[in-house]
Amino acid sequence: MSAVQAWLAGYITWTLATLLLGTVVIMGYLTFNTLFLIWLERKVSGHIQRRYGPMEVGPHGALQTVADMLKLLGKQLLTPVAVDRFVYVLAPLLIFLPTLCVASLIPVSGAEAFAQMPYGLIVIIALSGFTVIAIFMAGWSSNNKYAVLGGMRSVSQVIAYEIPILLAALSVVMLAGSMNLREIVAAQARGVPYLLVQPVAALLFFIGITAETNRAPFDIPEAESELVGGFHTEYSGMRFALFFFAEYTNMLVLGALGATLFLGGWLGPWLPGPAWLLLKAYALVFVMMWMRWTFPRLRFDQLMSLAWKLLIPVALVNLVVTALLVPRAG
Amino acid sequence: MTGVVWRVWTGAKSLVVGLGVTGRHLVRRPVTLLYPHQTPDASRWNGPIDLKTFAATLTHDCIACNACVRVCPSDCIDVEGKRPDGSKKMRATKFLIDFSTCSLCGLCIDVCPTDTLEYSTRYDEATYTRPATVNDLLGPFGEDPYLSGKLQ
Repeated sequence: MSAVQAWLAGYITWTLATLLLGTVVIMGYLTFNTLFLIWLERKVSGHIQRRYGPMEVGPHGALQTVADMLKLLGKQLLTPVAVDRFVYVLAPLLIFLPTLCVASLIPVSGAEAFAQMPYGLIVIIALSGFTVIAIFMAGWSSNNKYAVLGGMRSVSQVIAYEIPILLAALSVVMLAGSMNLREIVAAQARGVPYLLVQPVAALLFFIGITAETNRAPFDIPEAESELVGGFHTEYSGMRFALFFFAEYTNMLVLGALGATLFLGGWLGPWLPGPAWLLLKAYALVFVMMWMRWTFPRLRFDQLMSLAWKLLIPVALVNLVVTALLVPRAG
Repeated sequence: MTGVVWRVWTGAKSLVVGLGVTGRHLVRRPVTLLYPHQTPDASRWNGPIDLKTFAATLTHDCIACNACVRVCPSDCIDVEGKRPDGSKKMRATKFLIDFSTCSLCGLCIDVCPTDTLEYSTRYDEATYTRPATVNDLLGPFGEDPYLSGKLQ
């Protein structure tokens, strides 16, 4: 074996090992995150309604979601007779994959990121728009009128709310002069967090990610009071759990993206970078939960007119004003 | 245009007010009880009928007069009695109340000549079988001191 071959073999082994390790670390953390967020959601909803929430399994019910997950793992996977089997099985896997990709793209500190891209922001927004295809696949293949309605609502909702997200992110890109997330954080390190410079964009972005993750008050694709369960009506067992998994992972990932764009990412005193990023991301996730237990669900036409008649014009005006002011500021 | 701006402004303000309301509830103490571990104060609750224990005799004072059986609108009381040797007063040997038909009207308490019936403060009366809804009121008292001759 020549020296080049040996080097190549070593390189490939090393790359594979780091890839595997990275995937395992991210998957492990995301699993923990889902269990933690479901527990937090139940606790927040409980305390907002002056209840305790789960208290029995583990201290303050901390192990309740672990027990729930084990139960779901042990359940039989029911496949209804009339479904489009291939698409039906594929959808829960596909809804989770883009979220996992996005999670590996967010820089957790100045030094480390599992993947670095000069156009990371665009890739992230493109990938997170991908979940809508999986949701529509789930709704369509279920062969259930409620599931189809939920899937179609999800498509029109995510398409509408991608635009203000993108426009809000674009005004940040203009300020930072880069689409690289590390560059954006570095630009905030030189100045102030963009929340202070771009409060309107931050608000639009936050509303957008709430809608993108199908969270209340924008949870009309699920809308349990009108659509049974929406796109996941026909799913059970671990396939249903994957939808849950994707929703809470999406919340964390988009919260981390919001923290990166507007709250200075990993920047902060005393604590290490990843801790600050997670702290900021979880703060945003907490506000999303707080909103879920405060606001009533929007009607579908209200949801659409909010996006097209209010958010997008405001985002456009904000973008134009930013574009006019940036050269003077820079 | 100003109408739209005003509507958006008042709407946004109401959202913040709503968050404030739920936020205040979030940090306040929960009002619910952790039921099996904590139990509510039931001292003012009128639960299933019980026989009173008198401090002087440490037992009930049911003379099996059947007044409660006759007055009961649900016909859910079943009392039998026996006369202890050398006594004028009867003593109850059986006192059953079928709680599944009792409406807790309290007429038996009012009519009792010896005032030995009372509301208990029990509230968790769910049972798995129908016969288990029948409460044996003499059960907690054990052997009757009058019938066994310990008390005259």
